[in-house]
Formats: sequence, C-alpha cells, structure tokens
Amino acid sequence: MKKYGNILYLFLVFLLQLVLSDYVHMGPWLYLCLIPFLILNIPLQRSPHSVMLIAFGLGILLDILSDGVPGLNAFAAVMAAAPRRFFYRSLVNGDRQDRTEVLRISDVGTVKYLKFLAALTATYMAAYILLDCVSFRPAGFILAKFIVSTAASTALSLLLALPVRNQS
Amino acid sequence: MRSRYGLLSTTSAVILFILLEAFSIVLVVNRGVVQRYKVLGTVRSIESVVWARTSRIGSFFSLRPENERLAAENLQLRQQLARYETARKELDSLDRIIEPEFTYIGALVVRNSVNRQHNYLILDQGWKEGVEEGMGVVTSQGVIGVVGGVSRHYSYVFSVLSTDQTVSVKLAGSGAFGPMTWPGTDPGMTVLREIPVHIQSAPGDTVYSSGYSTLYPPDIPVGTVASAMVSQGSSQELTVRLFEDFRSLRHVYIVKNNRREELEELYEKVR
Repeated sequence: MKKYGNILYLFLVFLLQLVLSDYVHMGPWLYLCLIPFLILNIPLQRSPHSVMLIAFGLGILLDILSDGVPGLNAFAAVMAAAPRRFFYRSLVNGDRQDRTEVLRISDVGTVKYLKFLAALTATYMAAYILLDCVSFRPAGFILAKFIVSTAASTALSLLLALPVRNQS
Repeated sequence: MRSRYGLLSTTSAVILFILLEAFSIVLVVNRGVVQRYKVLGTVRSIESVVWARTSRIGSFFSLRPENERLAAENLQLRQQLARYETARKELDSLDRIIEPEFTYIGALVVRNSVNRQHNYLILDQGWKEGVEEGMGVVTSQGVIGVVGGVSRHYSYVFSVLSTDQTVSVKLAGSGAFGPMTWPGTDPGMTVLREIPVHIQSAPGDTVYSSGYSTLYPPDIPVGTVASAMVSQGSSQELTVRLFEDFRSLRHVYIVKNNRREELEELYEKVR
C-alpha cells in the first residue's frame, strides 16, 4: 500500500513538472526541473541499466508532453542517472544498496540528502543547458542559467521531499 | 567469476549509456515535429481539448484589450478596403482579374511558449482549413513564425522567438535590409544584423518585413530600432524592440502565398 502511495506521489510530481514546463513562464534564465528528484526516488536496489532506462523514459515523456525539443530532457536525464550510484556512494556513503526502499531525508539526514540531490540536479542541468544553449549563447549566460536553475530546482525538490519525510 | 560478471555488467551499462545518449542527440538534431504529429495523433487530440479549454479561460480575462486591438485593426482594414474598392472599380474597366499575391487564414493561438530557446505556438487551424507546412504567420504588428507541422485541426508554428529562426527585414527610409534573429533573452527584443555602416539609423526608426521571402508579405511593421552598434568594423547590429507582445498573443493570420509555387519553380530552373 505504501509502495502505491509513493508511486502516486511521484506521478503527481511528474504532473507538476508538466504544469511548470507548459504553463509557467520563467524566463530564459531559469529552468525548473524535477526529473533529478524523480531519478533520486528510483529504488536504490535498481541496477544502473534500469535506472538509465527509467530516466530516459521520464525525459522523453516530458519532451513529448511539454512540446520541448525532443531528446533534450532525455539526454540530460540519462546523464544524471548514469552516475547515480557513484554519487550515492561518495556523498551519502550509506549501506542501503541492497534494499528496495527509496532514499529519504529521515534515513540519511538533510545535509547528505541535499548533497546527493544537488549533485544529480547539477549534472542534469549541465547536460541540458549545454545541449540547449551551446554555440547559440555566450558562456556567461550559460553559467548564470546553470547556477540559477540548479539552485532553484534543488530547492524546489527539497521542498517536495519534505512530505515524504513526514510520511516515514 | 564474480569479477567477470561485474566487468560485463559495467561494460553493458556503458554501452547502454552511449546508445541512449546517441539516440537523444539524434532526436535533438532532427527536430521532427511533423513526424511527432503523425505518430502521436491520439496524444495530440487529447491534449488539444485541454489546450482549447485553458485557452478559452485565458482569453476571457484578456477580452477587453484584445477587443480594443481588433477594433483598431478593423478600422485600419476598412480604410484600406475602401481604397482598394476605388482602385478595383477603375481596374474593372480594363476587364482584368487580379489575383491577390497573399491570402490570409485567421487563427487563434491555443498554446504559446516564450521562455525557451526554441519557442513555438499551436494554432486552432489545421489542414482541413487549408493550412500547409511552410506558411508564414503574422499579425498586424509583426511576423510571428513559420508553420512547421499540421494536423487536422491544429498547426504547430516555429516562433521567430527561436535562436535558429531568421526573418528578412528592412529599415524604413533607407530600405537597407538584413536578417533579424532572436538572441534568446528578452521576448520583446531582437537583433537586426548586416546593416552597412554607412546607413544612418536612429532609435525609433521603424523596421518592416522586407518581403524577400515567400513566407511573409512586405511592409508589415515589426518594431523600432532601440540601439545600434558597429559589429566587427564592417556592419551594424541594431537592437529592435518588437511591436508584438508575444506573451499576450491571441489572434494571428496564417499567410498563404498564392505565387509561391511559381516562385519556387523559377528558383529550381535557375539553380
């Protein structure tokens, strides 16, 4: 029952992402994305293969449903999903790889959770913004957009992670 | 045995990573909007219902300024029509039928983006109403974009607010023309390039569509010059403040160039 509640919650997060992409005009300097948060919420037991495939599916679905450039979010999602295990080991340093639960703030503490989330979001944003802007935009714009988007997306994701913390 | 399995697993993960990323890049490079329309027809038709409804709600709140704008445009068109009627009566005596170069299909914007690097619009007119790929989209206050994909009742437009779209425009007075592109930051500003250094331009000068393409009719006011700077010593780069506010875009006209095929045939012959 708890598992289905988690799936429903993540589905709602994806819907929120669609609303953000389609109806909220944030300007060219900011891209709010919750896909890294969804990647973080894939059960830890999953192999890198399935994590990459799920991330690719989420990215391509977002590209299609939000009428973005097809492949942009998919590219960034796979780029963030690939080093997920490495980030987990180096930043969270937990022993939960063999367990099926998703990572929660209450299990590892806010600081470690934030580090992990920020690393995933930064990787995602670096891939997305570089592919979207490279050769069109000056380096200063790309850097500013990367910093603003990573900070805002990480903050929003952390905010969304709090209900999960209260549940557990 | 365990290490061999681990190596195999790592290798296959790397291969999968490369394949997924390569596939994503291929998708990005070939922005196959039309293909998506064909493949995802069902998804589109469900989404269209949502867009049309949200668009109706949005339009309710912007009715008054929109009506005022349309009334002003209507008045201008009536005055033009009166002049053309007079001219037509004179020409009728020559027993000559004049086919207009451009005809228009009115459309309502049901979806619009302004905050991406490659923006788009979705209009409520499709191939059933005669819309075809490659038609231009304009308003009385500027050029809007090019139709990139068409379904039965909707069309997908590549907005001029895309970093890879170019519109040929000219300066009032001198008639000097050049490509206008969107630099990707402010949806109200674009950049007009390749204007020779000896051409004098002042802030406030009007910029019009040049008509040097089969997409847009000539002399549509696009915006005014905001500032000018010399680029690489050989030409000027003018910042243009657009007349059209893309954020509140509602009514547009899809342009059908009735001589497009003839022009394209001519290009083919001389190529």
